[in-house]
Amino acid sequence: MRPLGKAASDDDRPLIERVRQGDQDAVRALYERYFDRIYNYAYARLGRAEDAEDLAIDTMTRGLTRLDLFQDQGVAFSSWIYRIAHNATIDHYRRHGKVVLVSLEHAPALESADPSELAVEQLSNQDLHTAIRELTEEQQQVLILRFFQDLTAAQVASIMGKSVGAVQALQHRALGSLERTLQGRAVN
Amino acid sequence: MTPEVERLERLAERLRAVDPYVPPPGAKIRGWNLVLAAVEQSNTARLRVHPIRRLVLATVAAAVLLVAGAVAASADSLPDSVFYPLKGVLENTRGALTFGASDQLAYHLELANTRLTEAQAMFARHRVDLAAEALSALDDQLNAAALVIQAEKQSDPAVGAAMENRLRQAIVTHDAQLAGLQGQVTNPTALNAIMQARDRAAQALQTAGKPATSNGNGNSGQGNGATNSPHPTPKH
Repeated sequence: MRPLGKAASDDDRPLIERVRQGDQDAVRALYERYFDRIYNYAYARLGRAEDAEDLAIDTMTRGLTRLDLFQDQGVAFSSWIYRIAHNATIDHYRRHGKVVLVSLEHAPALESADPSELAVEQLSNQDLHTAIRELTEEQQQVLILRFFQDLTAAQVASIMGKSVGAVQALQHRALGSLERTLQGRAVN
Repeated sequence: MTPEVERLERLAERLRAVDPYVPPPGAKIRGWNLVLAAVEQSNTARLRVHPIRRLVLATVAAAVLLVAGAVAASADSLPDSVFYPLKGVLENTRGALTFGASDQLAYHLELANTRLTEAQAMFARHRVDLAAEALSALDDQLNAAALVIQAEKQSDPAVGAAMENRLRQAIVTHDAQLAGLQGQVTNPTALNAIMQARDRAAQALQTAGKPATSNGNGNSGQGNGATNSPHPTPKH
């Protein structure tokens, strides 16, 4: 996996202070630090490069022009920017509709498919992305943030406003749902 | 580790190995230009707001200073001052917030003293017209005080009697001052105004001594002309 740039856990506060003082270099530094990550997140959620670009630009614009609001949030800038991206994703779904919104969280495993036979190493990236987009909102979010964005459970918990334990449980269910989705695709 | 956990762990590892979507360079440059423009616009808007806020704050501060200065200046103003009407407003406001017969009596007696001082000052400046108005307002205050006493006598005769005694002492003091003033002036209009004021003061004392009648004189002192007049010298 290619790195997405500097880790989102880095302390952004000095940069944010400089942005507030009108330092354009600091704006650029924050943009460089987060644009690729947000683009990647948006692409994984929406599945279209054009939509991902629009959403990433919109998210960065909102994030960097509304730092006065960030001051009162009590969370890390990285969490805040991902929340903006998540809300923008929801807005996008509202405006354009979502192609698939089927919860498989509680769906039974397919009897015709033996889970042990699912050769995960042979799955293409496209298969995985497509299957993830069939999961619920929260399941998508936790898998994308944990595995594509390489964030810790604590960071994901901060972004999603959940406890670490809840994120871990959600991650477990999300992986199970993803597995069943991939099995279903393999059978079909 | 159970088979299920092993499977999910393998799936998680596979997800970690997925290559990230990387934005094309053109998209990143386009995004930067748009973000930079928005940030600059936001900064400009913020800077535009600052002078307006400063102007508003300066205006408010100036208004506060102006009002505070006017109030302070009006406190000792005389009838020929531009601040004098404000003095009347403040006195009436104070009167509206004065409750209890004893406090109302003190309020009216204090204003009566003030009017007498104003009359003396106006006579000294040869403003007989304003002095006469001040004396008329003095009598209004004494009459208002008498009505407060009348009402109080109905509910508590002992207290009412004590209040009547306070009014009498005040009127005696005023009368002595008015007598002295009468000896100093030669203008017939001024002399007439002073004599009328002395007579009306004596009438006020008689009013305080009478029992309250049912025609509205027996109120608590609020609502009479002297109390609610917007001007310390209401009679023209």
